[in-house]
Amino acid sequence: MSTQLPASISEETVRTISEERDEPDWLLRTRLEALSALDELDMPSVIETPGRRWTNLEGLDYESIVDPLDQRDETERVSAEGAKVLDFETALEEHPELLEEHFGSVTDPQTNYLTALSTALFTTGTVIYVPEGVDAEDVKVRAEMNSTSLFSHTLVVAEDNASATILERISNGSAVDGDRYFSNLVEVVTGENAYVQYGSLQDLDEDVYDFTLKRGDADRYATIDWIEGNIGSRLTRSDIETELNGDSSETKIVGAFFGHDDQHFDINARVWHNGEHTTADLVTRGVLDDEARSVYEGVQDVGRDAWDTSSYQRENTLMLSDDSEADASPKLIIHNHDTEASHSATVGQVDAEDLFYMTSRAISENTARNMLVEGFFVPVLEEVEVDELREDIDDLIVARLD
Amino acid sequence: MSSEQNHLKETDTEDRFDFKKEEKSAFAAEKGLTEETIHAISEDKDEPEWMLERRLRALEQFQEMPMPTDWPGQPDLSEVDVDEIVPYIRPDVDVRAGVDDWTELPDEIKDTFDKLGIPEAEKNALSGVGAQYESEVVYQNMQERWEEKGVIFCNMDEAVQEHEELVREHFMTKCVPPSDNKFAALHGAIWSGGSFVYIPENTTVDMPVQAYFRMNSEGMGQFEHTLIIAEENSEVHYIEGCSAPKYSKFNLHCGGVEVFVDEDAHVQYSTVQNWSKNTYNLNTKRAIAEKGGRMEWISGSMGSKATMLYPSTILKGRGASDNHITIAFAGEGQNIDTGAKVYHNAPDTKSTIESKSISKDGGRTNYRGLVHIADGAENSSTAVECDALMFDNESTSDTMPYMEINESKVDVAHEATVGKIGDEDVFYLQSRGLDDDDAKQMIVSGFIEPITEELPIEYAVELNRLVELEMEGSLG
Repeated sequence: MSTQLPASISEETVRTISEERDEPDWLLRTRLEALSALDELDMPSVIETPGRRWTNLEGLDYESIVDPLDQRDETERVSAEGAKVLDFETALEEHPELLEEHFGSVTDPQTNYLTALSTALFTTGTVIYVPEGVDAEDVKVRAEMNSTSLFSHTLVVAEDNASATILERISNGSAVDGDRYFSNLVEVVTGENAYVQYGSLQDLDEDVYDFTLKRGDADRYATIDWIEGNIGSRLTRSDIETELNGDSSETKIVGAFFGHDDQHFDINARVWHNGEHTTADLVTRGVLDDEARSVYEGVQDVGRDAWDTSSYQRENTLMLSDDSEADASPKLIIHNHDTEASHSATVGQVDAEDLFYMTSRAISENTARNMLVEGFFVPVLEEVEVDELREDIDDLIVARLD
Repeated sequence: MSSEQNHLKETDTEDRFDFKKEEKSAFAAEKGLTEETIHAISEDKDEPEWMLERRLRALEQFQEMPMPTDWPGQPDLSEVDVDEIVPYIRPDVDVRAGVDDWTELPDEIKDTFDKLGIPEAEKNALSGVGAQYESEVVYQNMQERWEEKGVIFCNMDEAVQEHEELVREHFMTKCVPPSDNKFAALHGAIWSGGSFVYIPENTTVDMPVQAYFRMNSEGMGQFEHTLIIAEENSEVHYIEGCSAPKYSKFNLHCGGVEVFVDEDAHVQYSTVQNWSKNTYNLNTKRAIAEKGGRMEWISGSMGSKATMLYPSTILKGRGASDNHITIAFAGEGQNIDTGAKVYHNAPDTKSTIESKSISKDGGRTNYRGLVHIADGAENSSTAVECDALMFDNESTSDTMPYMEINESKVDVAHEATVGKIGDEDVFYLQSRGLDDDDAKQMIVSGFIEPITEELPIEYAVELNRLVELEMEGSLG
């Protein structure tokens, strides 16, 4: 079921991108291998239930939305003391070995068609390197997309006992007409006892199709927390994943989305418990209005040797409109009995009693509803350590309410 | 409790299910599945032309559809080779529609059901009993007082002859069409035997009706069809039991169950499945509930090598409701993939799903469920609760619920937990003088109580016995 290679992409295209950046051989090779794998690779797997496929990634016209030789972005990077926050090209010059060691080590570039496409064509990205023992607070990467398509690659390396809180934001810059495509692959590597909170906010306009895959590899005693806010785009497919490979490692995956019009969000949160005594907490809250649609899959996978696992998952969707649709599939895959695992999911509308209570206190129905929707996101927003990210998400939620 | 425990231990459940009888048949179809086979079966049953046509159409659909292979985590079906199955065996019984007196059965068949305890159950607590051996129903009886009220309980082949219009309208048309899935199509082509239950308007059958299915021959498939029609404001509880001895070759059980719950009617369908551990159990069961109708599925899945079964209910009329209570137990080499499907297609519909599973010695259980709430099904609510108990590190337990919600005025909740048997609970019971095994047994009995308390006492006892045998690892 692989998709044809868009005619605008050839080996020549990839060589041009790589040469313009004066890239080392290993990276060119990785790109070319990803390119040639495109013929064989499938689209990311999408949930299917009798008679329907929940997200139609095959339906996209990659031919018209991928223009690899015209990729433009405006990216602002705010570093923290002791850490390196570099654009990808500079990082290649300054830390070639670090990149060669870790690039593609957490996420195989050939995971699926869209990851391979992204690896073959990326022109921008950020490398965040936090050396041993350094605490890097409030690292910020604010990116603007200024072209029909933009492919990005982000690598975070936090060494032993290092910590980082990172905010990454993607939005539109100068207006480009028509359908567009944004893709970002994020890899987080942690050393022993490292801590990374990676927050991202996607606020692209609604002609953009968005694909992101974020994956972390947690070493012993390490913690990787993800915050994921999705507000914009026509269609978003977002995978947020942690492999708890080290004993006593932990992760939190916190998501918030707010869809309106005919927006479609396909959010996948996955965690693999491979080490012993690992803990995961997956929390996602979403609101849907108009004809918006959400697809949520959460997977807690407890491996054969993952003794003493604790794994929790909650997903709550609030529906504001009868024409919206919320699909959810929270999955538990348990191979070790020494496990405490649970998941829960709810779908419903704004609580009638709460609404009644507030209107009886002279708050107008519309204001009351807006307050309740804003309040619905509080448990998610509370997890955000970077003030700017929390405020931005909150502002965008408020702006979306009428 | 301890005296009851002893009582349970003294029973011979293993012998009750895993004995073999010499294979004797009056007619056995060739192995495999061809148009000729279908013609032969249909002719042997003297069926009307329309039924033959439906069979042939289903065969076509079966041949067109691919095997399900890429569902996440699904059981391996590569061993299921329909060409190796004997699809139809008519046992050597004189009366085609079955007899209504156990003593008239050939000794080896009567012995079988005696051992299973079916005649005993009939005497004690049931409105009627049907018993199927291989592909045909060999015994059928209904208490007279129900017959007088117009209740029909007969075998499906007889129903095709005697109640042709009802069957023609309802048989694999709107509830389980053969196009539903590959094994529904297979079933449509070679179905044989099963039960037909018809409850007229305003009639309550207050004792359960029971059917028991027994596979005895090696390498056979059993394809019984159950059709239950409960007219307006009627009520019935139907119970099905099944078993087969274990042979070296695989067996295939591929039944079909269709339930029509008319306005304000109430149907409870209970089953304890204990197929031998080389049986592939690939069933399709579905109910359609009209306005105010209430459907209840109570199922225990104990046996089989692999089970793929998701009883489903379509809540078609306003205010219809559905309850599912299921328990699955997977021991060594077993893969029980089961769950529930509910379609909320009308306003004010309600459903609850309560699923319990136990996995042990490398067994694998999976809850695979679908709740669909259609646009316009306002004020619907559904609550799904799955609990999995795991005994050891070799076992696997998955939960894969799917929820499709197209309506905002709803209340949807799903909860699942997985855990090991509580060390503290075991310790507590041990400190009260129970040994380790008994303590665990008692905890499991408590864990599955929500289902056992819904079953008539014989079934509840049987389920407890089966669980106990599984716990001891004494069934192969």
